[in-house]
Amino acid sequence: MKLKFSITGLDCPNCAAKLSAMLEKEEGIDSAKINFLTEKVTVETALAESDALALVRATAAKFSKSVVIE
Amino acid sequence: MKKSKLNIIKHPIFLIFSSLLLLIGALLVASLSQAVSLALYIVALLAVGHPVMLDALRGILRKDLLDEKLLMCIASIGAMCIGEYTEAVAVMIFYSVGEYFEERAVKKARASIRSLMEICPDTATVLTDGEEVEMDAEDVETGATLLLRVGDRVPLDCRIVSGASDVDTSALTGESALRSVAVGDTLDSGTVIVSGVLTAEALRPAEESAAARILALVENATENKSKEESFITRFARWYTPLVVGAAALLAFLPPILRLAPLSECVHRALLFLVVSCPCALVISVPMAFFGGIGGAARIGVLFKGGNVFSPLAKSTHFVFDKTGTLTTGEFSLKEIRALHASPDAILELAAAAEFGSNHPVARAIRAAAKCTLTATDVKELAGKGIIAQIEGKTVAVGNKRLMQSCGIEASSLCEGATSVLVAENGTLLGEILLSDTVKPEAGDALSSLRSLGVKHLSMLTGDGENAARACAESLSLDGFSHSLRPEDKYAALQALLSNKENKVAYVGDGINDSPSLALADVGIAMGSGGTDSAIEASDVVIMSANLSRLPSAIRIARKTLRIAKENIVFALAVKLGILVLGAFGLVGMWWGVFADVGVAVIAILNSMRTLTSKCK
Repeated sequence: MKLKFSITGLDCPNCAAKLSAMLEKEEGIDSAKINFLTEKVTVETALAESDALALVRATAAKFSKSVVIE
Repeated sequence: MKKSKLNIIKHPIFLIFSSLLLLIGALLVASLSQAVSLALYIVALLAVGHPVMLDALRGILRKDLLDEKLLMCIASIGAMCIGEYTEAVAVMIFYSVGEYFEERAVKKARASIRSLMEICPDTATVLTDGEEVEMDAEDVETGATLLLRVGDRVPLDCRIVSGASDVDTSALTGESALRSVAVGDTLDSGTVIVSGVLTAEALRPAEESAAARILALVENATENKSKEESFITRFARWYTPLVVGAAALLAFLPPILRLAPLSECVHRALLFLVVSCPCALVISVPMAFFGGIGGAARIGVLFKGGNVFSPLAKSTHFVFDKTGTLTTGEFSLKEIRALHASPDAILELAAAAEFGSNHPVARAIRAAAKCTLTATDVKELAGKGIIAQIEGKTVAVGNKRLMQSCGIEASSLCEGATSVLVAENGTLLGEILLSDTVKPEAGDALSSLRSLGVKHLSMLTGDGENAARACAESLSLDGFSHSLRPEDKYAALQALLSNKENKVAYVGDGINDSPSLALADVGIAMGSGGTDSAIEASDVVIMSANLSRLPSAIRIARKTLRIAKENIVFALAVKLGILVLGAFGLVGMWWGVFADVGVAVIAILNSMRTLTSKCK
């Protein structure tokens, strides 16, 4: 299933690329794409929406405190 | 949105504090003891740099040793270690200020692009049991009754149940023309009600309605990367390791070879670390395309991706479908050739016979005639025409085959796809010639295309030769093919594409055109009302079906590409220049900050020029 969340607080597209690479390494996430300009993160996952959101948040927290995912 | 502002709000306080400490340190440098001034600088560095340092720590934890924040910290702390206190703190201050401006610039760019696309309201007024209820557009169910007043934007696609109104569809089409609508008409979401009050039945949920589909198309467009974007992304992957590697060489190689003292070389190498972030590069190009896509959307031109800009900008051949693309699809009276009656009488008979028909030809005849007669016993013969009783006489209105089945010889007359023969009691009275009207803007639009360097303009149509020739000649096209089936169009296009020199754009609107739209280098679908499959198969959608948008689209594509290239060259040149100057010790570390965030800000501002597209 494809899920889309809004992601704000990223500094630059390079950071976006790094974070999406980190997300893809997470168990349960098949693919992750961050669109820096539209501030959207799209993940392909079998997880339920709330679990996926929690996982994306936790991963982002390892990256930078200022990233907010909703 | 709300929380990410924290970053910015926090900065000024620490920034000012840190800058003050730096100033004190600089002014009192002679009178302070070594230890006190060192402490002063360390506090100043921590005050301004702690958010960067915390992110750097996270970088270490996830083993990303090329993290930009980490490299920034190494540069700053490194400068402290070799005794360049002022520079260490100043670089961190500049970096934070620069980041702040970069963030502002990105936000502003995003906001201005988004504002172009705010075409749909979040709320809808729904009538339930006679009561008005305000609710989220997303929660409105299909079949609900919407209340629409003057000034409202239509929240979801709907069909008018009561009332009549003038509506403005400019948000969707980029064209401010009013349309009158009444009961039974459908409204796309995003349309503005200019007069009257309507009630309408919701046809589709908000997320499937016109405005949402357009937004999704534009947002997804940023994911289809252009060649330039892919280049810069690949480049960025190599850039940081290369620069960091160069920094290591610069720091340690000359001292080992005893060419220069270690501290001086380390000092120069630290500048490399500051310049090592590829952000300015990575942001400048997609931003230009995002701006181009947004600016084009404002005038009703939807690009389906960054990858569409280059083929469109380079198009050498434009191939058009005829009906609905070059012509309005509406017929108008051209000529009446009378044999045995007055032209007016012929027209009136035809209009009376065609009274009940909704065929475009019938509508055109009715529009041209003043109708006083009534027809009875009307028989419509599919593919032939109509036979009816008018004032006691048998009137046949239709094509040659109809005349033949009535036993009338009609071969002597001029024939075209749009000729209507009229006979009364077995005698041919005359012929009505109709032409499909060429769109009023077609001539100017096509000559603009030529002046933009398009070499060859041609038309592929399913219409007969006469109709096709008339249209091609009136527009001075370079070539045309007529009587084509869809698969013939496809083959004709393939032939044109087989010459690799030809960059072919195909412009069409119907289901028939979908294969050709997909095949061409650039498929351009005309009209939001065009069929979904045509829009799906195309690379560019001209919402208003206005041909003058074609030259505009080319201009936008070229401008966007030019700006993207400017950004690439500018960012690379400045970075490289500062690296070289820094390697020779000619510029200080703060120039590195300029090469990083300063260049990013300038590139973003440059990208915003793509938004101001001329709308001719």
